[in-house]
Amino acid sequence: MPATEHQQSFLGRISIRRNQVIAMDGNHEQELEDLELFQRHTGDRFADLLSFPEDYPFTGEPFLSISWLRKLVDVLLCCEAEFKAVLIMGRDPSQILKPPLDRLLIDFMERAVKVLDICNAVSSGVDSIRQCQKLAEIVVSALEQKPIGDGQVKRSRKALSALMSALTIDDKENNHSRYAERTWSFGRRGSNSGGNHKDRATHGSFRSSSMVVAKNWSAAKQIQAMCSNLAVPRGGESTGLAQPVYIMSNVMVFVMWALVAAIPCQERSGLSTHFQIPKQFVWAHSIIGMQEKIGEEWKKKEKKGSAGLLEEIQRMEKLGQSLIEFADGFQFPAEAEKLEEVAARVAELAEICQRMEEGLMPLQQQIRELFHRIVRSRTEILDLLDNGKASQPII
Amino acid sequence: MERDLSEKNPPEKQLSNNSDSSDNEENATNITTNLNANHHDHPETETCDQLVSQSPKAGVKVEESDNTRHEIEEVHHEEKENEEKIGDTPPPEIHYTLETVSQDIDQFITTLSATPKDAKETIVEEEKDEKAPMEIPVFVEKFLDLVEEKVAKHELNEGKGKWGQNPEEDSSFLEAVNRISKLTSSLDGLRSDPNHAALISRIGGIQQRAMACLEDEFRFTLEDIKHNDQDPNTDAKGKQHEADRCVLPESESAETDNFLGYSDDAVSKLNRIAKEMIGGGFESECCHVFMMIRGHAFDECFAEIGFEKISIDEVQKMQWEALEREIPLWIKAVKEYASIYFVKELKLAEAVFSNYSSISSSLFSNLTRSVLIQLLNFAEAVAMTKRSAEKLFKFLDMYETLRDSLPAMGALFSEEYENELKTESTTARCRIGEAAICMFCDLENSIKSDTGKTPVPGGAVHPLTRYTMNYLKYAGEYIATLEQVFREHSKIERADSTSRPRYESESQNFNNDNDEENQSPFSNQLVRVMDLLDSNLEAKSKLYKDIALSCIFMMNNGRYIVQKIKGSTEIRQMMGDPWCRRKSSELRNYHKNYQRETWSKLLGCLGHEGLQVNGKVIKPVLKERFKSFNVLFDEIHKAQSSWVVSDEQLQSELRVSITAVVIPAYRSFMGRFSQYLTPGRQTEKYIKYQAEDLETYIDELFDGNSASGARKRP
Repeated sequence: MPATEHQQSFLGRISIRRNQVIAMDGNHEQELEDLELFQRHTGDRFADLLSFPEDYPFTGEPFLSISWLRKLVDVLLCCEAEFKAVLIMGRDPSQILKPPLDRLLIDFMERAVKVLDICNAVSSGVDSIRQCQKLAEIVVSALEQKPIGDGQVKRSRKALSALMSALTIDDKENNHSRYAERTWSFGRRGSNSGGNHKDRATHGSFRSSSMVVAKNWSAAKQIQAMCSNLAVPRGGESTGLAQPVYIMSNVMVFVMWALVAAIPCQERSGLSTHFQIPKQFVWAHSIIGMQEKIGEEWKKKEKKGSAGLLEEIQRMEKLGQSLIEFADGFQFPAEAEKLEEVAARVAELAEICQRMEEGLMPLQQQIRELFHRIVRSRTEILDLLDNGKASQPII
Repeated sequence: MERDLSEKNPPEKQLSNNSDSSDNEENATNITTNLNANHHDHPETETCDQLVSQSPKAGVKVEESDNTRHEIEEVHHEEKENEEKIGDTPPPEIHYTLETVSQDIDQFITTLSATPKDAKETIVEEEKDEKAPMEIPVFVEKFLDLVEEKVAKHELNEGKGKWGQNPEEDSSFLEAVNRISKLTSSLDGLRSDPNHAALISRIGGIQQRAMACLEDEFRFTLEDIKHNDQDPNTDAKGKQHEADRCVLPESESAETDNFLGYSDDAVSKLNRIAKEMIGGGFESECCHVFMMIRGHAFDECFAEIGFEKISIDEVQKMQWEALEREIPLWIKAVKEYASIYFVKELKLAEAVFSNYSSISSSLFSNLTRSVLIQLLNFAEAVAMTKRSAEKLFKFLDMYETLRDSLPAMGALFSEEYENELKTESTTARCRIGEAAICMFCDLENSIKSDTGKTPVPGGAVHPLTRYTMNYLKYAGEYIATLEQVFREHSKIERADSTSRPRYESESQNFNNDNDEENQSPFSNQLVRVMDLLDSNLEAKSKLYKDIALSCIFMMNNGRYIVQKIKGSTEIRQMMGDPWCRRKSSELRNYHKNYQRETWSKLLGCLGHEGLQVNGKVIKPVLKERFKSFNVLFDEIHKAQSSWVVSDEQLQSELRVSITAVVIPAYRSFMGRFSQYLTPGRQTEKYIKYQAEDLETYIDELFDGNSASGARKRP
């Protein structure tokens, strides 16, 4: 038996006095089973996420779509609940007070704090997507009209310019902004088209309606910091509580990383330098698979400089581009063929808007729920640690 | 039907001839019976009357209308080859003005909308087959020309704030936009008719341009926020700007700021523009601009208050001294947002989007939600920081702010948001409250862990007592809040933990006659703290070898405790009378013990027993008595003048009580026995002190004056 387990048993014996823990051996077996289950459930949950139908985007929950992200956050919430049960429920504080678990938990809670900031940043990113949705809705309502005349085209063109500059925002542009708020300048760029009447640039800047985390805060750096001290448990640790702490940390890092990649977020340069999860873990297989997929997409994205990998955003961007082409070449009356094409695009754009309308608010609420859950768990773990510490010298 | 309208009953004819409109009505009745209801009470006739009677140019109108009809006939002759041809026809001889043609347009719109939409659509479909589209009167094109001209003029002024220079022109522009919008919607039924596509497209184009003008003006007006307390630089700029525009007289900037820096005029302008934009279907654009600009303004408020956004991560790493400075700024921000900014923002939104309460409420909610969440996040972040007793009072300040400022705000929001924000603010308040409880309970731990083995010199008040009591005294100022926090945020499961409040069972023993206060978890916690302090002090008192000194120590500390508790009405009330009585009797006991320990031995020297044998005073014994009295007194004086009783009252009580015991006994002893000593040498040797001397020396006790006693303190 590894040394740590000896120690664990020893402390376990001591703890009987305090918590009246039932027969230690049975307890330990139960614990091993819990750990096993936690790993398996984690693996299963992520595997479900990866098994999306191939014929997306029109069926089910396409990869990185809003509904998929909601599932992803759900998975995190589930894992978190189970993790808490494994770690805290019926736990004797003395068990988690011994090294290296005490240090691992402190690292874990530091990660949890970073998750909170990321939740807030992502939530404000959702607000800015909602602004894009509003702009896209203008485009839809203008181009849905029949006949499509100059007025409709100009109106949509104006909204499209704003939309496209919001969508193709380059992270770097905003990094060095003097102010904390992310300024989504829109309007002037590429908006001088659409007939002899000069499109009015919507001056002023379009920022996400909610505020960003803080000056100089960087989502990418936070994620890097979260994985900086994330080490695979070795030796005796690998069968003990160090294992679920490690798994949960990875799950948190991955989900945060995916959210930051998908949704506009404050300062993301360097996001692609991602963390390594050793391949030997069964629970990690799907995560690694998704990580690779998102990583590739992100590299493409960084070149293009788009707002995020969110499936709806990507499609919106493509549609926006083609509608801009249509608008720029528009002459009244438009050819029937073109109009049909446009009608199809507008219908798709309307469908995206609808998805956003239905999905963004729940996603945001879910992220907020995650926020509260993490705060709560952190407090509970801290209480457990404090209790352990407080009780020790007195016993 | 459409053909009927245009050929038999051209709108302009209706205008001059009311009887025709009844004709029209008959026709309509013939088509579908279910249209009847609409036709009977449609406002057409009334409007016509109004127009004719109101218009000062009624005469001219008839003339114009005649002309128009004439023209239409011409067009008919040309067999309506092409719609666009209308535009090519030479301008009519009569000069249209926007004003006059507008009336025709109004009439036309009224006529169009008199036919219910679905009826029109079916008709259009029917008519389509017959290739006989509805005729559009020529003045429509004329009207469009005039509006286009107007729009072009406005486009030249874009963003230069020319509005307000000529209120009549502004109104006329808004009216024109209004007519365009109405025209657009009344022609809705003709959209699918290819014959009218060009016209509809043209109207759409003009409408878009006009709306773009409005949007610019809307933005310009919204961005033009006047701050009363700006630095002179910006202010000067602002004034120069105003001067450029010649809009607002100086006096207006001085008026009360009802709308966050917008003048009443500006608000009414925004309202009029918003109305036209929404009416014309450009609601999204209007709302977007509003959100953008007001959102920025909110950010600036943060900057003005001086509250800086700090990430939760950062808050955890900050030194308390630095974080402590942020908290008052946060409190100020919450209070100002809750009581001023939010209220005014809602007022502004409601004023700009009057009659569109769902728009104003959703804009307001969207604008403020994130600001609020941001503020609450700071509270969450602070609540997560390492708990320590020193932070308690700042936490309670935050708690009170959340408790007092936020609920009033709920009413500003729509129900959906209100619930969300209520939950959010309650959660934040809970966290702060729970942290505060932990901090207060941590006092127990600080008392428990104070196990120093070095006694305080001179039996003075122990630093732990000072710390604890001053802490409690401060807590007394927050007592209502603390009580609330303990009542609302104590966790049940904590009752079984060693370091948490145990208010169910113990500590109720002596508070019996104060049942009401027994209900308060906080008062129980307070009693627990006091009990812990007592037992800790008792343990500390054992560190003194001299029992008298340990009594003095207990008296000192006890007195300090009682004084502090009596000094705070709230805490005194909470501890209750029985506690105070018990404490006083404890103190009296210590006093008695002290006297017994110190002075009974001395008084033993002054006893009469053993001094006399068969009525005769035995001199050597007497001498011995005086000698030992002197030695003892000297010892006591030396030792106890270095002891510390800093409470003046206690000091004088002690001295008085000592004097009361010692002096009379000494006097009587002297009076009785001094005669037996030979005056002179013997008297000098054995009677070292007169009673007055003793009094003086007694008055030197408990001065903490170690110099007066050569010996080391115990």
